[in-house]
Amino acid sequence: MESTVVDMAANDAAYDALAPDLQSLVIDQTEHQGQVALTCKAEHQRQLLEHFRNEQGYDYLVDVTAMDHLGMDRPERFEVVYVLRRIGASGHQFRLHVWLSEDQAELPSVFDLWDSARWGERETHDMFGIVFQGNPDLRRLLMPEDYPAFPLLKDYPLKGAGERRQFTRVVPRGDQMVEEEPEDYPTSIGRGMHTPEYEEEVRRDSKPR
Amino acid sequence: MTPSPDKGTRDAPVPSARTLRTELEKGLRAHRSGARPASVMEMSDSDGDGRLVMNFGPQHPATHGTLRSIFTLEGETIVEADVEIGFLHTGFEKLGENMTYQQWVTVSDRMNYLSALNNNVGYSVAVEDLLGIEVPPRCKSLRVIMCELSRIADHILCVGLQGMDLGAFSIMLWAFEKRELIYDIIEAVCGARLTTSWTRVGGIMRDVPEFFPDLVYSFLDEFPPLLTEIHTMLLNNRIFVDRVKDIGIVSEDQARSWGISGPIARASGLDVDVRRDHPYLGYENYDFKVPVQTEGDSFARYMQRMEEIEQSLEIIRQAMATLPSGPVVHDDFKTSLPTKDAVHNDMESLIHHFKLVMLGHGIKPEPGACIYSATEAPCGELGFFIASDGSDTAYRLRVRPPSLYNYAIYPRLVEGGMLSDAVAVLSSFHVIAGELDR
Repeated sequence: MESTVVDMAANDAAYDALAPDLQSLVIDQTEHQGQVALTCKAEHQRQLLEHFRNEQGYDYLVDVTAMDHLGMDRPERFEVVYVLRRIGASGHQFRLHVWLSEDQAELPSVFDLWDSARWGERETHDMFGIVFQGNPDLRRLLMPEDYPAFPLLKDYPLKGAGERRQFTRVVPRGDQMVEEEPEDYPTSIGRGMHTPEYEEEVRRDSKPR
Repeated sequence: MTPSPDKGTRDAPVPSARTLRTELEKGLRAHRSGARPASVMEMSDSDGDGRLVMNFGPQHPATHGTLRSIFTLEGETIVEADVEIGFLHTGFEKLGENMTYQQWVTVSDRMNYLSALNNNVGYSVAVEDLLGIEVPPRCKSLRVIMCELSRIADHILCVGLQGMDLGAFSIMLWAFEKRELIYDIIEAVCGARLTTSWTRVGGIMRDVPEFFPDLVYSFLDEFPPLLTEIHTMLLNNRIFVDRVKDIGIVSEDQARSWGISGPIARASGLDVDVRRDHPYLGYENYDFKVPVQTEGDSFARYMQRMEEIEQSLEIIRQAMATLPSGPVVHDDFKTSLPTKDAVHNDMESLIHHFKLVMLGHGIKPEPGACIYSATEAPCGELGFFIASDGSDTAYRLRVRPPSLYNYAIYPRLVEGGMLSDAVAVLSSFHVIAGELDR
């Protein structure tokens, strides 16, 4: 991960094929076990991905995902990862990492370039809360539609936000749908989550580092 | 089906049953008043435009899992389709950030429970790529053999269920019977049938038993006639052929753009196979073809799976013929668990084992290392993106499940078709809910 742009420039086909003005947008280039990752800033993500799709023929978006670097010594909190591949004889593959700030966790969607981004971005939104502007369907994918939290964030506790019976439920009463508070358990999602007792409990249950 | 709250209430029922009944009545009242669509399978035509909204699943038998589709019907034609997933979401990726690299092997086989071995192997290959270690030749060959057996089990089950959904029930029973041969081998090798947890990072649990070759060779003898039988039964079955032909057509461009992989992509003419394009475990040493169809319909997907089974049999034959002897675990015990036999009989192995399984010790890849490693699972490309922070647990463990990207296109395929075609398309997609939702 210590390698610099100058060192690695000769090794990657995707980077070499970039025009000089686009090469300047790639702020870092790393290599691990023969796999290359290019890094760019959020404002250049769309431009670079369009170039890779339309000019360089990376026609297969393998995966979209993200990482949360909360509390780590990194430029920004979020790192969105695109795995791109060219189908065919060369089969070249690399990753594009995009730094994304916590204050403005928004990126332009690329669903018009690859349809696989539709659900890839949707799941990333579901797990990290990152908004992909322009994606026509950013509903929750795996979590319930009214879920208030994003579970793969590092500040979301491993034990979850409580048991199901602790949640506020929406139940029919007469002809109306009303919200029903849980009876037995005072803790409910969202409010009770960050009480000192709960935080202590989470700390106690988490693994030793 | 018109239960009334005043009638039929028993005086002293079992409390839980009464609760259930009250809930049901509440739900039905709310449903009749149009307050909300009930979550069970139901139909409603609340706005009176002649369109019915039908919930298909998540508990419908033809979904083969907990998948929910919401179809808007005009007569029997689907005019609008939407899917909802996540019913089996278990937080496997979050678990990966909190379990050690070796521990997560057990989680990986809960994802796709029909081909757990491929998940085990895919995950282990990914961590080995991250660490940069290479497993011994015997381990590679054994992994290939077991992967291909598991692929056959998965494909034959899919074909059987495809037959069952369209009324050819015998196919399913025949497929299940012969699938048992494979499960016998898996049981002999690792002791479990479904949740195998057979691999370890840097090797496998233990060497195969002595009678392993006998089991595999007798399987290789007994299995091929079944393929002929199934082909004969299904291709002469006009109902089956008529119902799967020309439905759910995925074009090659669609397959490429939607990130579809595996048999579904190849049935559409998209010539991708991770085993050939990015070889792992020495797949480049085996002589096998990657069959490709062009039609992209449900029938092509059936043919594709049957042809892939033949190629898998071929790979197993070659791998059995060239099965090397030697160790099955990578010899650097700083990263690979010694076999149980060695742990019980050898002081040094015991110490290594102890060091590896203790929290905070274990395998520690270099900080900041990231890898995306893909293997070819029966459903398609199973990828793992692993980022390390230098500790014994992954900083980020992302699973790229083939079913997720394969399933995304499903609503578009069934729109405009008949309701009964939706079942025939879904069974040819072979979506595994455990892997879809993780």
